[in-house]
Amino acid sequence: MELTLCNHSSYPRIGDDPEHQLLRRTIAQRDKGERTDDAVRAAQDRMTELALAEQAEAGVDLVTDGQIRWSDPISHLAGKLAGVRVNGLLRFFDTNFYFRQPVVQGMLERTGPLVLDEFKFAQEKSARPVKAVLTGPYTLARYSVEENGGAGGFEKVLEGYTAALAAEVATLAAAGATVIQVEEPALLKYPEDFPRLERSLTALAMSKDSAQLALVLYFGDPAPIYDHLQTLPVDLLGLDFTYNPSLVDRVASNGTARTLMLGLVDGRNTRLEDPATTARQIEKLARGADLNRAYLSPSCGLEFLPRDRARQKLRHLAVIRNTFLGSPS
Amino acid sequence: MSRAKLQGLGIDLPLFPITSVGSFPKPDFLLKARTDFANGKISRGALEKAVRQATAFWIRQQEKLGVDVLVDGEMYRGDMVAYFAEYLDGFEPGGLVRSYGNRYYHKPIITGEVHWDEPITLEWWKYARGLTSKPLKGMVTGPYTMMDWSFIEYYPDRRTACLALAKEIRKEVEALIEEGAKIIQIDEPAVSVRPEELPVAIEAMHIVTDGLPAYFITHICYGAFENIYPGVLDLPVDNVDLEMSNSGLDMLDLFKKSRYTKDISFGAVDVHTHLVEEEQVVEQRLRQALELLPKEAIWVDPDCGLKTRTVDEAIAKMQSVVTAAKALRAVTSDE
Repeated sequence: MELTLCNHSSYPRIGDDPEHQLLRRTIAQRDKGERTDDAVRAAQDRMTELALAEQAEAGVDLVTDGQIRWSDPISHLAGKLAGVRVNGLLRFFDTNFYFRQPVVQGMLERTGPLVLDEFKFAQEKSARPVKAVLTGPYTLARYSVEENGGAGGFEKVLEGYTAALAAEVATLAAAGATVIQVEEPALLKYPEDFPRLERSLTALAMSKDSAQLALVLYFGDPAPIYDHLQTLPVDLLGLDFTYNPSLVDRVASNGTARTLMLGLVDGRNTRLEDPATTARQIEKLARGADLNRAYLSPSCGLEFLPRDRARQKLRHLAVIRNTFLGSPS
Repeated sequence: MSRAKLQGLGIDLPLFPITSVGSFPKPDFLLKARTDFANGKISRGALEKAVRQATAFWIRQQEKLGVDVLVDGEMYRGDMVAYFAEYLDGFEPGGLVRSYGNRYYHKPIITGEVHWDEPITLEWWKYARGLTSKPLKGMVTGPYTMMDWSFIEYYPDRRTACLALAKEIRKEVEALIEEGAKIIQIDEPAVSVRPEELPVAIEAMHIVTDGLPAYFITHICYGAFENIYPGVLDLPVDNVDLEMSNSGLDMLDLFKKSRYTKDISFGAVDVHTHLVEEEQVVEQRLRQALELLPKEAIWVDPDCGLKTRTVDEAIAKMQSVVTAAKALRAVTSDE
């Protein structure tokens, strides 16, 4: 039985060693006028290479670029669109991490690729396949505000983000992305908006060509909407198993036709999971899901952990897989 | 209202008592001393001397401004959670994690049973008290925020960790009271983040404050306050310190729907903008508060700690608060 290891999305862009503080240092120097934007880009390149190397060293099969260049999961995408200005700080869900809120001032328009260069850079530097990651249109819309009439209401904002990201999905697919991850954590806060998300994802699915489209939910319990999720036009479902221990039973009993990304390793806490316990959860999940196609991953991006602990968590994925497969770790 | 409680504690405050949330910006000489200490260039004694100088500076500034209830300014602290974690058994310093943009902090890890061995803030509180005859708040980070902003490895769940922290933090509060602190602020900025855990925060606050002879304030900020109101009024404290101005006073709408029943420390200036609000703007905000709240219940302060502002900005913002509160005091005291 196969079980592919994958990183979730983000990876720490800092660490406690001086080498890992390159980006922070360079940005601070740029902000003081001592370095250029080119120097910051070079530092981002270097930290991306380090993130890729650490994922590979940990044995991760499907890596990401670590989102090293992202100021945050919201404004990094929204801020590149025409019709948006980026405003003050807001808390990102229930974390102690803050994002800059997009203010929609008119019709949204994608005037160029959003993450294509980042994806291509990582793909070029990695010997392992790279997963492209996007924050989804619904989450972007939910955490935006409008001013002076904005785009004409929430539906229009969602439509604008959907059109922009559908174009980005097409661009990434054309560039060779085999898995494109769309993150929609806001759905778990507003499950009543499921029909809106479904419409939005349908548009994205039409743009994916031969790439696999993954819907990834985190920072909440997906069990209440689990059965609805099965109807969505996506190839992969990524679920956060850390909020509800009985989600494993739900998946085992109700099953799924989708490939699952099993977020069983807590990406928000440093404590390492007991491999035997997690292996038993996977055994149970095998009753409802085809594990030959499944991915084992952290429950969310690893940027919420210190670098050394994030690295441990990635290595722990392999320990858990080996325990599950019955071979020594 | 808790005027009677304050008077019972021997504290007689004017209408609209003026205070601040806790932190002030560190003067340049202290920033340099902290950097030098981190790089091994100066001794701990030299650093502490700089901290004392900075604390004395802020006590003088507050007295000069006419603040009624002073703070020590937290010159000795970096992060409000990491500082307490450094002194409590059971914590290990964690590596850097990002707060926002290019800002990072060390997030502590609870790896053992938490235990309070000796006072953490007391010596600094005593030092500051020796510099003023005005009431001085004791400042403690609350158990819910300590738990939420730490990684939890030792305890099986968040509630258990939070309640364990509450028992130990109570000891710090008891130490402050024993030394003479009569107004104590338990900072809980994280309390609005997971509304479903509000009962845990309330249970923990009971552990910290029940039966202790002090006037308790809790500071809550930058979260979805609408999700915990009016339940937050069940926190066993006398005064809730809220960032009203950053959100355009929209919390007053909540108070219209469900009556606010405690004293309030009304955040009357935004701490996340360089712009210094004019006195008239601050006074107008307070007048809006007066439409809904009894004048005896209102304290006045900035939205949050001023540590992110420059020294000059912090003083100017405090000046706006003081001027507006005193103007309002003059016209409403006879009404």
